Amino acid sequence: MSNNSSAISVKNLWQVFGPNPEKIVDSPDARLPRAELREKTGNTAAVQDVSFDVAPGEVFVVMGLSGSGKSTLVRCLTRLIEPTAGSVVLNGENIMEANAARLRELRRTKFSMVFQNFGLLPHRKVIDNIAFALEVNGVSKEKRHARANEVIELVGLQGFAYAYPEQLSGGMQQRVGLARALAVDPEVMFLDEPFSALDPLIRRDMQTEVIRLHEELGKTMVFITHDLSEALKLGDRIAIMRDGAVVQMGTAEELIANPADAYVEDFTRDVPKSHVLTVRTIARPLADSETATGRTIPADTIIRDATAAVLDANGPVGVVEGGNIIGYIKSRDILQVVGGGTHA
Amino acid sequence: MSVRTEPAIKIAPKSIRRSWLLGGLLIIWVAVAQILQGKATLELAVPENSKFTAWAGEVADSIRDNRNDGLAFKYFFNPIREFVDGFVNIIREFIAIPNGSSSIPVLGWLGVISLIGFVVFAVSNVRMAFAAVALTFACGALGLWTDSMDTLAMTFAAVILSLAIGIPVGIWAGLSDRVLKVVTPILDLAQILPTLVYLAPLALFFLIGPASATIATMVYSIPIAVRLTAFGIRGVPTSPVEAGTSMGTTKRQLLRKVQLPMSSRTIIMGINQTVMAALSFVVIAALIGAPGLGKPVIDALIIRNVGDGFVAGIAVVLIAIMLDRSTSAAITKKDTFVPPSEADRKRRKLALITAGIAAIVGIVLSRQMAWAAFFPKQIDIGSQVANASDSAVTWVTENMELLTAGLSKAVTVGVLNPLESILANSPWYLTIAMITLISLILGGIRSAIVSATLLIAVVATGLWYDTMITFTQTIVATMLTMLVGVVLGVWIGRSVRAERALRPILDAGQTLPAFVYLIPMLGFFGPSRFTAIATGILYSIPIVVKIVGQGIREVPVNMVEAATSTGSTKWQLITKVQLPAAKKSLLLATNQGLIFVLAVVVIGGLVGGGGLGYLVLLGSSKPELQGKGLVAGFCILLLGVMIDRIAQYMVARNSAPKH
Repeated sequence: MSNNSSAISVKNLWQVFGPNPEKIVDSPDARLPRAELREKTGNTAAVQDVSFDVAPGEVFVVMGLSGSGKSTLVRCLTRLIEPTAGSVVLNGENIMEANAARLRELRRTKFSMVFQNFGLLPHRKVIDNIAFALEVNGVSKEKRHARANEVIELVGLQGFAYAYPEQLSGGMQQRVGLARALAVDPEVMFLDEPFSALDPLIRRDMQTEVIRLHEELGKTMVFITHDLSEALKLGDRIAIMRDGAVVQMGTAEELIANPADAYVEDFTRDVPKSHVLTVRTIARPLADSETATGRTIPADTIIRDATAAVLDANGPVGVVEGGNIIGYIKSRDILQVVGGGTHA
Repeated sequence: MSVRTEPAIKIAPKSIRRSWLLGGLLIIWVAVAQILQGKATLELAVPENSKFTAWAGEVADSIRDNRNDGLAFKYFFNPIREFVDGFVNIIREFIAIPNGSSSIPVLGWLGVISLIGFVVFAVSNVRMAFAAVALTFACGALGLWTDSMDTLAMTFAAVILSLAIGIPVGIWAGLSDRVLKVVTPILDLAQILPTLVYLAPLALFFLIGPASATIATMVYSIPIAVRLTAFGIRGVPTSPVEAGTSMGTTKRQLLRKVQLPMSSRTIIMGINQTVMAALSFVVIAALIGAPGLGKPVIDALIIRNVGDGFVAGIAVVLIAIMLDRSTSAAITKKDTFVPPSEADRKRRKLALITAGIAAIVGIVLSRQMAWAAFFPKQIDIGSQVANASDSAVTWVTENMELLTAGLSKAVTVGVLNPLESILANSPWYLTIAMITLISLILGGIRSAIVSATLLIAVVATGLWYDTMITFTQTIVATMLTMLVGVVLGVWIGRSVRAERALRPILDAGQTLPAFVYLIPMLGFFGPSRFTAIATGILYSIPIVVKIVGQGIREVPVNMVEAATSTGSTKWQLITKVQLPAAKKSLLLATNQGLIFVLAVVVIGGLVGGGGLGYLVLLGSSKPELQGKGLVAGFCILLLGVMIDRIAQYMVARNSAPKH
């Protein structure tokens, strides 16, 4: 993917904690297991040589267990933590080179963040929490409240503008967090495990809400999570992190169909493949004994969604991509995937 | 077959060996001390100076001679003194002393009470406002209106100046790790510095009088304001701070809009503690000329007039309650960030206006009418209270002799004298060697070096014997404090009900100035070493109980449940699970206990405690002994540092992860 067309482009990003962090960058030591590195040099390489590009309007998910460096990574992208090395280019501007004033301006206007623990200001009303970034940027009270009211409507917080955060439920509080991040109309939104602190049911609502907002507003998002199902649900592409490094990056389907290593495979094992894989991955040539039914189905149909049509067909169904039939599937192929048979 | 030693097995014999070692050492110490009893004790008669104290006296004299022309005085000490003096006087003239040519302060008694009522209502609530009015009135009724107002004025002056310095520095230390690193050792030192220590040196530079007293009070209370402010700023959760930063706040905006509002509760708590510290110090600062209630307390202690001292003590307690309760009410108000509803706010505004008008009426009356200006003499129950307390004390000492004289004798003969014979009445080199060895065993090589160095420094000053007398009293008082403190601490740690019952008493005990405890103790036990010890115990029990109780409460529930499920009795549970698990808290409590006890035991010099405290007090009244007094103060400091260091190393050792 080229830099020019990316909303955000990260190159060789490193974050090393401890003494003389620069020495660890690109050194063989960085590859040592965590405990060994700490023993040897006193450092922790929280983010190691991470590179990726996010296209405009894409939802890019970074997924990993706790301690994998994903939260450090997202803080490096906005320089809440100064990275040790590497570059982050936002719409053509390398934010690593921005001085303090420029960085503040970028934060006030170009990107925004949503936090796991919401990070709301308890002494301010909902509306003043939402308008905070505008306020510190010197926008008049009238204008910023008008804008805040727009986003309040957008995230479904009507009627709560003058409440205080502690009067709201967790889910509602995170809606305030979302509204606050949207208020500046940012080019990129960073969401750091925004729903991890919420109940499962509310989490699902909020995920749907993010999908809706993304569809309506088309914001570029970098979304951090430790929850694979959340990653699969929201992410156009997913990067899986482990011990500070990205072990695999790709679409949900790529990760599940071709896990790069045992770690990713282990991760994705429990995912119902029929919910993620498309029929393309199970299309096969017609066997001699079979005759095509003449029915077809697009190659990017999710297997689960193809089930009814294929079972109905009573025979092999053609998988069409770009106008050509690339292979056939029939009910047995689908049942194999649904039944948990391995198929790659 | 090779045998692998398990680390767990290695630790057990080591700790057993350590206690054997200690026991053996103590036996040797006692034996040798018996043989060499009375030799090389370095005792220095009270009116005599050592070479070092004589030199210190000369230095003090030369400083005093330099007071008018010395550059440091001309451009540093004197301007500060004049500024502080001026500031204190403005406040005193406002409520306590005649203002200019007038015969009353700016506000007469009714004006002061009205203003107090209004201010307390504004920062807390109506109940507190009435309580504050009643408490202030009671001070007048005790016949101590002017002294009470002087104490209040001194306290306010010191608090305002302390906060003006302490809060900005605290904010700075809250924001910058580097600043925190610089101020932390100073704050730590200030915390272990017994109050008596810096009175004389400050008086030397700032003269005796309100200015010195205020500056000494500031030295005592600024660290508290700094510590709590920094703690508040650092205690703000990371996510709002990160959120603020991620939205592009400048540092100033972040501080003003996020960090300060979110730490306001802790900062107000800091103000509360600063006020209480200042009050307790202003009372003691009477020793260097602070006007107010401290004076009658000291006078009473010196001439052993328990009744009058008791009355003044009560006035101090009343003021302490008033200041503590009204500032704590302001803290409770900050429990929620949600402001009251619109209707409530309107009602409150109306009430404030009404109260304001009432206050103005009171103030105007107090400036116009004699009855509202001078506190009515007819209302004076001071002498009745004095008589009543005198007869109460007499009754107790006569009828409960076993409890007063008996207790005093038991501790003195049973614990104090034997320990004194080991520490003070045996050769100095034996004591130093043994203390150094014990610190080596308990705290490791670094604490041994610190102990040896500080003790040798004490020997060099020539006040070795007196230092050991004070050290003995400190140890005895701390042992008794720990005995009571651990029992009570375990009790409140295990029972929520006990905690609820004791907590207000402990809180109240903590807010009272140490001085106040001296008066009843003097009544019960007369002028003696035990009076100093008993006061030290009484003063330090609350903090010890609190720390132990918290330690017990923090023992993980599953540990307790596991022990209970294996059929432990209550006693086994306490001794085998809860106390060992709370070991760190016990050490911490001992450390705090020692420091608190030391601070009070030296004040006990006023009531026959002898030792360093007595020398300090003597030094401030006898010019030829002033050097000795200053050096005695320095020795108290050395003692405090030594005690604290040993305890800190022990804590560090016990909390270090074992491999």
